[in-house]
Amino acid sequence: MIDFIVSKYNYWIYIVLMMIGFYAMIGKRNLIKKIIGMNIFQTATILFYVSIGCKKGGDLPILEHAHGHAEHAVAVSAYINPLPHVLMLTAIVVMVATLGVALAIAIMIYRKYNTLEEDEILEAMK
Amino acid sequence: MIVTGAVLIYGTVDMPGWGDPDSPASRHVSPQYITEAMEKTATPNMVTAVLADYRGYDTLGETTVIFSAGMVCILLLRRKRNRHD
Repeated sequence: MIDFIVSKYNYWIYIVLMMIGFYAMIGKRNLIKKIIGMNIFQTATILFYVSIGCKKGGDLPILEHAHGHAEHAVAVSAYINPLPHVLMLTAIVVMVATLGVALAIAIMIYRKYNTLEEDEILEAMK
Repeated sequence: MIVTGAVLIYGTVDMPGWGDPDSPASRHVSPQYITEAMEKTATPNMVTAVLADYRGYDTLGETTVIFSAGMVCILLLRRKRNRHD
């Protein structure tokens, strides 16, 4: 039982983080708070993927003594999985892009309605 | 929201444990990346090798994403001279 908790609690932490972001996206009325919730959600996804790539006893995915000792064998278990890191690099870029566009749209909404509260915007749209 | 969280936590029961070297994510293509990155791309940093050599088109598309996001920000935030409202 304790082994089960120790080997799974990182996923649970990311799920809690993701649900905090989800609640902020659904429950909050302020658009900036919704955007912050979206960012928390994406960060939880990124942490989840990076923790998938982890190996116990693994090193950073950068070869040691790569130049010079060209023909020594590379042990797969000595390095952590580089693939999630690459994919999450892409995901971070997409996260920044969506954050920028969302903040730009929020600025546009503020210029038009002078508020960022959702119910006041809906009231003004009637 | 709590239901979604409960479903996700139920889904982690089948996930491989933290730091498991035999997890499915570490068995499929990543051993090839780890062992062949040096001789195929001459780059000691595997993340860079995969990002720029194996998945170069992905990175090209990523730059397109940043470019279009930047263009959208400029187009949205530009103050128009004759606004109709």
